[in-house]
Amino acid sequence: MNSKLSYLWPPILIAALFLGAWQLLVVVQDLKPFLLPAPSLIASEFSNGATLMWGAAFYTGTTAFLGLLFGTIAGLFMALLAQRFITVNKLVTPLAAGLATVPIIALTPILNNMFNITSRTPRVLVTAIIVLFPIFVNVMRGLIQVNPLQVELMRSLNAAPRTTLRILRIPNAIPFFFTGLKIAAPLAVIAALVAEYFGGPQEGLGSRIASAAANTAYGRAWAYVLAAIITGLIFYLAIIAIERLVTPRSAQLHVKA
Amino acid sequence: MTTTFDTGSALAISNVSKVFNKGNENEVIALSDVNLNVHTGEFISLIGPSGCGKSTLLRVIGDLTGFDSGSVQVSGKSPEDARKERLYGIAFQQAALFDWRTVSKNIELPLELAGWDKSQREVRSAELLEMVQLSEFGNHRPWELSGGMQQRVAIARSLAVDPPLLLMDEPFGALDEMTRERMQNELLRIRLDTGKTIVFVTHSIPEAVYLSDRVVVMSPRPGRITAEINVDLGERTETTRESDHFFHCVTSVREALRLHDTSGTSTSSFRGEV
Repeated sequence: MNSKLSYLWPPILIAALFLGAWQLLVVVQDLKPFLLPAPSLIASEFSNGATLMWGAAFYTGTTAFLGLLFGTIAGLFMALLAQRFITVNKLVTPLAAGLATVPIIALTPILNNMFNITSRTPRVLVTAIIVLFPIFVNVMRGLIQVNPLQVELMRSLNAAPRTTLRILRIPNAIPFFFTGLKIAAPLAVIAALVAEYFGGPQEGLGSRIASAAANTAYGRAWAYVLAAIITGLIFYLAIIAIERLVTPRSAQLHVKA
Repeated sequence: MTTTFDTGSALAISNVSKVFNKGNENEVIALSDVNLNVHTGEFISLIGPSGCGKSTLLRVIGDLTGFDSGSVQVSGKSPEDARKERLYGIAFQQAALFDWRTVSKNIELPLELAGWDKSQREVRSAELLEMVQLSEFGNHRPWELSGGMQQRVAIARSLAVDPPLLLMDEPFGALDEMTRERMQNELLRIRLDTGKTIVFVTHSIPEAVYLSDRVVVMSPRPGRITAEINVDLGERTETTRESDHFFHCVTSVREALRLHDTSGTSTSSFRGEV
């Protein structure tokens, strides 16, 4: 328990020093809020608008969660197919790389036109597309990068490819899957938030940040940014918690056995 | 569970050749006209420098790779049929255990694939754990065990379905000398208990001599068998490794290896191959 606490205090100390220096800079230099609001201002905006913050975070978080869910399912499915069939692999890998390079900023207005702009659908889709790539690439690697001796062992035991997939490849891919999820989860929050900048319902964090900034309420805009960071962290920590539950200690520590 | 042979021949290899990258400029004759007969219950070692084809020959026997000409019979069957009927168990230089399974579940893997039910599997893995003297470690994870213990688990796994033939590819190659000698004694004890036929690949001359009834010497470019040395040490005891007869056998194997070492490389450059 003591050692866990000793892990925690250095980052807390650094954060405190950083915030202190920030506050000092703003006060001493008399910086205007549109340049840089003081941490104390952001904190008061944050606590005053807590209900609004929480509602916006919940809306964007829901979009991010749905996008993460669908993107993960699609990424897993593609990786399984690509692992099994060389031709699918050749088709799907460049496609996934292509999807990864599509900028969400370019994609969102298009999807807004294709689907009902007043619904959540285009935002969830954008998020799912962003999530798909890290999941696909990592799971694919986990399915393929298997100890060759274990593959030989499975062959010596007359295991069908389907059996080898179930007994060897999928368990081998699980740590890789979580690596992908840890990249994808905060990314999903960012994607869901940025997708709100292009019209549609105004309940989310992205819409709130944009409108607060437009109304020169910089302290409030920063408070929403803080809420967005906290939402991203919650997603990340949730993935870590699930990983702890699902995989044995060893697989987390040394991915390569 | 016991398998009987009408011929007493565990392994019959005649005129087997295998070429890698056939037709390419980097064509390598991995095996050239290999002939080898192993009778039931015999322990043979394949020894030779890198590239002599000893690991390839083991993989041909196990149907983990094909061959170009000649014939191979494992317990009177083709290697493919023997593999499909799970007539051999295999152990490699690395234990290659599955980290996400407990030690017991690793040993039960071949039984699972052979369709044994859970209670039978548990009885058998307990039996095997006792044989390799790891009874207390059934519920441990592989990475909690030392290298030697992991290799014992791998050997237990290779024995799980009680196959008549055991193929071993430098299983003690990565272990320190003390552990290695202990493991050799354990393997001999297991062999006495089970009566398995064993084909053992190694690049250690004393190991080959200590373990085997017969040492098969191979040489590279092209990979072929150049000598067979019968080792008649009788029952191995604590003093076997210090006996004159043991040294005599070691010398014979060393000379057989040197005789065909035309490449000019010293024997100290022997490297493990996987």
